[in-house]
Amino acid sequence: MRKKTFAAAALLAAATLTLSACGSGDDGGKPVVSVSEDSAQHRAVTVLDQPFEKPDLVLTDTHGGKYDLRKETAGRPTLLYFGYTHCPDICPLTMNNIAVAKKALPKADQDKLRVVFVTTDPARDTPAELGKWLKGIDPQFIGLTGDFATIQAAARSVGISIEPTTKDKNGKLVSVHGTQVVAFSPKTDGGYLFYGEDASVDDYTKGLPKIIKGQNP
Amino acid sequence: MRRPAAAAALLAGAVAASALLTGCGGTASGATSGSGSASGSGSGGKPELSVSGAYMPQPVSDSMAAGFLVITNKGGAKDELTSVTSPDAGDVTVHETAGGAMREVSRLAVPAHGRLVFRSGGNHLMFDRLAHKPVQGRTVTVKLHFAASGDLTVEMPVKPATYNPATGH
Repeated sequence: MRKKTFAAAALLAAATLTLSACGSGDDGGKPVVSVSEDSAQHRAVTVLDQPFEKPDLVLTDTHGGKYDLRKETAGRPTLLYFGYTHCPDICPLTMNNIAVAKKALPKADQDKLRVVFVTTDPARDTPAELGKWLKGIDPQFIGLTGDFATIQAAARSVGISIEPTTKDKNGKLVSVHGTQVVAFSPKTDGGYLFYGEDASVDDYTKGLPKIIKGQNP
Repeated sequence: MRRPAAAAALLAGAVAASALLTGCGGTASGATSGSGSASGSGSGGKPELSVSGAYMPQPVSDSMAAGFLVITNKGGAKDELTSVTSPDAGDVTVHETAGGAMREVSRLAVPAHGRLVFRSGGNHLMFDRLAHKPVQGRTVTVKLHFAASGDLTVEMPVKPATYNPATGH
């Protein structure tokens, strides 16, 4: 599908980044991520040998209500992404790729799937702003906002590194998004797949029916 | 691979070059292909720029959008992209991306016999405060300002939000 050599090199680089990002975590040298044979040929998705526990995260949803991630998504196929709405490129692309792939699922499976977008920029991404943005992509997507330190800790617990919004030298706000989408199994509630930034609509279209069943893509 | 586009670029180049002399910038005629070029006389000592593969993924709202293109320099001298403007946006800035963080940059080099590539996940143009939400099938006018070659105008087509130039859909 991606035959260009530069694309393959970029994917390799992405895979390397994934590995190094996880290696720098708090797991004391224990390899958290290993690329399965399957994903070696198809690097947009990485099967995690040791699944991540779903973050114990309670934040505010787009309606202003409390949302307990573990409780609300228990036993549900769930995709988790950390991003921000003032993001021109990767955040909307990632969410739109998932939205398009989701539409290829049978209606019942679409309703089972939980896609959770947690903002990395809670000061700008109020519940209303998040809601407006997500409605433009897929009204079933869930948007969460709240305390940045809480969000950062949750991201870190699933091997994703994010930083607070800062001001650049021109006084413009600069935010950071996560570089992977984590897929959680409905069978175990464990985060068992990483989708990288290069994951396309096709990658998600192939993967979602498997994720719905908690299987490897 | 892009012969018709190259021909269009040459044509557009002639238009752009003549328009440049009048100081009002050229308009790339290849609106759908997003190609255009600005060049000097074509001698080895000058940058010879052309633009290909321009597109904007349809954004979520009118507040922000990204744009991508490739600037090719066939000339023997480097040039620099110094700024980007658009009549369709309040502000256009140039960003590099690294590891989930983007950084605004003021100038980017277009090396002699080289390319400056804007692609998803890497360098991108960021459009703020668009006049209207760009929708698929329309174009956004983008003016690229170069240190040596002057201005180059590109009609950037708006593609689906999930458009992938590698697959063309």
